[in-house]
Amino acid sequence: MLSSFTILNSFTLAELEVGEHFLWKIGNSTVHGQVFLMSWIVIGVLLIASLAATRNAQTIPGGIQNFMEYALEFIRDLTRNQLGEKEYRPWVPFVGTLFLFIFVSNWGGALIPWKLIKLPSGELAAPTNDINTTVALALLTSLAYFYAGFRKKGLGYFKKYIEPTPILLPIAILEDFTKPLSLSFRLFGNILADELVVAVLVLLVPLFVPLPVMALGLFTSAIQALVFATLAGAYIHEALEGHGEEEH
Amino acid sequence: MFDFDLTMPLMAVQFLLLTALLNAVFYKPLTKVLDERDAFIRGSQSSAKDNLAKAESLVEEYERQIALARKESQSVVEKAQAEAREIVSQKTAEAQSAAIAQKEKAAQEIQQQKESALSTLEQQVDSLSRQILEKILGAELVK
Repeated sequence: MLSSFTILNSFTLAELEVGEHFLWKIGNSTVHGQVFLMSWIVIGVLLIASLAATRNAQTIPGGIQNFMEYALEFIRDLTRNQLGEKEYRPWVPFVGTLFLFIFVSNWGGALIPWKLIKLPSGELAAPTNDINTTVALALLTSLAYFYAGFRKKGLGYFKKYIEPTPILLPIAILEDFTKPLSLSFRLFGNILADELVVAVLVLLVPLFVPLPVMALGLFTSAIQALVFATLAGAYIHEALEGHGEEEH
Repeated sequence: MFDFDLTMPLMAVQFLLLTALLNAVFYKPLTKVLDERDAFIRGSQSSAKDNLAKAESLVEEYERQIALARKESQSVVEKAQAEAREIVSQKTAEAQSAAIAQKEKAAQEIQQQKESALSTLEQQVDSLSRQILEKILGAELVK
């Protein structure tokens, strides 16, 4: 896209290659290899941290266990705030994994100079800057809240579409499409825009100037992970409670 | 930029696998640890509360005993003081009565001695006056 700029820089830590992928072929279709490589790294980090924390769990925590307990309590608080004391426990793994996966992806993409690892095409970056990942997560969120609603109320779940009035039926149906759409595009846009801004600034002024933007990018990344998880929790809560009885 | 392909469903499956894995190695064990710690803290807190209540009741009991002992000692002191006062007054009365008796006895003795002295004096006065008369008037006239 802007790769002509890179000729000016003899040494490049970041290069703009939007839309180029490290394609793997599976049967007739393709997958984006760089996304999977990064997501495996993220999954590996999460699993190793979890195993290190729980391998030798103590009553009085220390080191990595303390840190992971802090993370778990943060996630539990987040889920409890959205879903309420009674319902939150079974949803902690889903909402928490959303948060952890997006957060570690975003920060991993922002903090580590992946450009140093050469791929045949495309580049390693946060898995969340690929629309496939964010749409996958958003659709899973949709499925999750439908599942939550059906499990709680059975077919009565559909009553929420015509309550309080059937006039709002089209809007209620539309909501089910806008929710995953806004979720996925918010995350995708923020992360991609952040990486693009940083890359452009690094191309223009390689030293010091991009630092504040990078810091801002870290902040945005964390906020986006929080927003995604919070909204997922809010949607599930809405499906569990129904429109009519939202005010307790 | 918006090229969807097999990445999306595979990523979804992968994410669900990650959720299941993390549930097994992260959420469940750590939640168990947290709950156990909560239970432990709550247990020790309640036992500490029990101990505190026990200690407080003991303190109350001891204070009650102390107050009782103090009251007892006070009554003992008062009794002793009253006894002492009684003994003092009794002794004083005894001493006074003894003194009065002695005084009376002494007065009686004095009176007796005075009387006997007076009687002897009277006799002597008689004989002396006779002797004086004899001397002045002569012995023949006196008889």
